Amino acid sequence: MNNDLRERRDRAGLSQADLAAAVDVTRQTINAIERERYDPSLELAFKLAAFFECRIEDLFHPAFDGETD
Amino acid sequence: MSRTNTSTTNRLSRRRTYRRLMFGCIAVAVALGLALRFFDRPLLGEAVYWIGILAFFGIWFGTSGSLFDERDRALERRASQVTMLVAAAVLVVGASTARLVTALDLYEVPPMISGALYGYVALFAVFGVAYAWLRSRS
Repeated sequence: MNNDLRERRDRAGLSQADLAAAVDVTRQTINAIERERYDPSLELAFKLAAFFECRIEDLFHPAFDGETD
Repeated sequence: MSRTNTSTTNRLSRRRTYRRLMFGCIAVAVALGLALRFFDRPLLGEAVYWIGILAFFGIWFGTSGSLFDERDRALERRASQVTMLVAAAVLVVGASTARLVTALDLYEVPPMISGALYGYVALFAVFGVAYAWLRSRS
């Protein structure tokens, strides 16, 4: 799943640890999501979207067949 | 936009500390248990081992917050799948080889090996029961 979490976090001037603390996961989880190595659960996706005050689909972009992952 | 606060940061830091403490208890208990067995103190070694185990679960269940996040659980699931795959390969190949060498009188499979293979069978039986139980609940 593609996402622009890193850009949004950078724009907000937050570290991975700050964001992790805000949504109650480990820093490694935020790092894995940003590197697109881990797709968050729906619950965490909602938390992240709420944190950045946007919709889930603004944050995450599913890579369907034929698109780059 | 929401902002992080000190209490959430402290919670994450506490989670990390508790996790280190949990696995530290197990590591120290196992090391001490082995050392005590080596120095001919098997009962004391076993007691230390159990203190470590109880401390591990005491910290795990005694803390109010969750010590693992969803990625930890996802990693555990994937690691379990890989483990079961390896166990299945060992059982399929190992059991067949054991039956063949016995049937052909080439080698007498030691009880330890047969015991291990039956252990794998038991593991898959438990997996089957757990899977059926979870399916019935979902």
